[in-house]
Amino acid sequence: MIPFPLIIVLIAVLGLLGVGLYGLLAVRNLIKIVIALQILGKSALLALIAAGRASGQVNLGQSLALTFIVADTVVAAIGLALAVRVRRRLGTLDARELGKLRG
Amino acid sequence: MAGYLALAVILVPWLGALAVWWAGDERRLAQHALAIVFALVTAVLSLMLLPVVSAQVVLSLSAGASFGTFTFVLDGLGVFLAIIAATIGTLAVIFSVDYMAGEAQLGRYYSLILLFIGAMIGLVLTGSLLLLFFFWEITAFCSYALISFHNDDPKAVSGGIRALIVTQVGGVGLLAGALAIYSVLGSFQIGGFLDQAEALPPGMLRWMAFGFLLAAAAKSAQVPFHTWLPDAMEAPTPVTALIHAATMVNAGVYLLARFYPAFAPVGGWKVAVVTVGVVSAVLAAVMGLVAVDIKRVLAYSTISQLGYMVYAIGVGGVFASQFHLMSHAVYKALLFLGAGAVAHIIGTRDMRQMGGLGREMPFVRAVFLVGALALAGLPVLNGFWSKELVLEAGLGGGPLWAYIAMLLCAGLTALYTFRMVWMVFYGTRRSEGAVHDAPLAMRLSLVVLALGTLTSWVSAGPFGQMLARSLPFHTLDVASTGQIVLTVLMAWPTWLALAIVALGLSAWWWRERLAKFTSRLRFLARAAAGDFGFAWLDEAIVRTAQGTAEKLSLTQTGQLNWNVLGVVAGLVVVLVFLIWRA
Repeated sequence: MIPFPLIIVLIAVLGLLGVGLYGLLAVRNLIKIVIALQILGKSALLALIAAGRASGQVNLGQSLALTFIVADTVVAAIGLALAVRVRRRLGTLDARELGKLRG
Repeated sequence: MAGYLALAVILVPWLGALAVWWAGDERRLAQHALAIVFALVTAVLSLMLLPVVSAQVVLSLSAGASFGTFTFVLDGLGVFLAIIAATIGTLAVIFSVDYMAGEAQLGRYYSLILLFIGAMIGLVLTGSLLLLFFFWEITAFCSYALISFHNDDPKAVSGGIRALIVTQVGGVGLLAGALAIYSVLGSFQIGGFLDQAEALPPGMLRWMAFGFLLAAAAKSAQVPFHTWLPDAMEAPTPVTALIHAATMVNAGVYLLARFYPAFAPVGGWKVAVVTVGVVSAVLAAVMGLVAVDIKRVLAYSTISQLGYMVYAIGVGGVFASQFHLMSHAVYKALLFLGAGAVAHIIGTRDMRQMGGLGREMPFVRAVFLVGALALAGLPVLNGFWSKELVLEAGLGGGPLWAYIAMLLCAGLTALYTFRMVWMVFYGTRRSEGAVHDAPLAMRLSLVVLALGTLTSWVSAGPFGQMLARSLPFHTLDVASTGQIVLTVLMAWPTWLALAIVALGLSAWWWRERLAKFTSRLRFLARAAAGDFGFAWLDEAIVRTAQGTAEKLSLTQTGQLNWNVLGVVAGLVVVLVFLIWRA
């Protein structure tokens, strides 16, 4: 079996998590927010697989990861669809404009 | 089998709510028809519960470790209130066909009513205190949303919000009581609690007893939380008849009756219950004497009659209180629907602009008179028997001052009832315009309720036996209808009460001769018109809640980035907590 450098995977997980959270916090473009969400998701995905390997339940980890990929795709699709609707309706992709919505 | 029936009687009206919503506001006929059909099916299902009444848990759904088991018990108390909610709900829906004829957004209206009927039935049938709390809150929400149904009218909106906030105070009391039970017994089961109540630490039991009294007072509009009920009169009248006369406001009385065996030994609790009941009954009756809005008069009278029920529980007459609840639900729904028909036809609720309407609407006058006589407590109608039973229970088990106050209150009841009937249907016309009698659907509901008012007391015996058979923790001495009739007629307090009622009547008859005396009471009338100053308490509660909400709304920026920051901060808190625990 290939040796398993857990610490490297953990660093990658935390790194992706940081990038994703930073994106969500700082970015205002809706498309970029969806991308940040994706990066955040990938960090969770990696964490699932690593957790499966580390706890010896590889099958469980991988099946959870597959389930997550499906859900993640739906999130991305709906997020982008919403972004398209917002752009058509308000003429902008700025998330701050959404806060002023009334009715 | 019985378990599925219990589930069906809750879920059918909820399905109906979805169906009416799905039909869409363009198909008005379909919405009327769907609402009536689903309400009727619910009423039939609720009547099918009668043969399966027992003290057993008929259905238990596991809801995970932290919520306990959701159980349903079809005992006499629950089934009887479920039948009231379903049948009066059906009649209110039928009445609405005419009443809401010109209104928009029927989908919202009927869906909320059906949602309410299901929640009310769930509230009384569940054996889990946590589930009871959920249903309790759903009924509070439906009440709020229906009071504010005309959401372009600021009075309706503020009335709804006030009702919601004040009943929430009671909801918090209920939740605290439920959590206290859970912390001691590790379960939310009402039956288990009643079984082991004596083993609980007395301090804990005392907190719960008074917490539940608070919950009941807020829900049943008792002093000092009563002012939300008159403000709730902005709701469409069928809603008022169903929610604010026949069902939801009875939830507080139901709560007290349900937990009476556990709380009765708590020192001072019974006296507190009696005091709340007596003060509410008397003050509300006086306020009913000076109100000029016909629905407000009926609202004060509802508070007053709920006071009778609370009083009956305080003196140990659980059966008398539930019997009065049944009578009151029927005749007060009749009175509200009758008042709604009048107000709908002549276009105002101000009694000063009515008068002499009896000639043009003989039908409404006839059924309204039946309800009014029952409210005043005149013989043969259901209100007479139940009020006498309450008063007899009070003489047998309560303090004398409370009995005398309630006796005088019966006279006040007769006085304000006849003042109302006179101002609306007799005397001279004080308004212009063509007036016609009630249309068909309204008549149908009114006739059924009038027949109920005339005859529902016949079921007193079987009803009492049903309660006695299925409530293992209550001690009820019950008799057949014949025996009840005999005891009531043979007892001197009955005749005393009738004399007081007659005194109230004659006070209205000779009101001109008493003018000198009544002018001395002007200060009392002014105080009553101002709610005896109790409004400030509700006002304070509402203002505090809304002020806090206003301040907290600053945290809702609507900015996505801030919300994400909140999520991250929450995550950090959870992580820190986990690391600290590890």
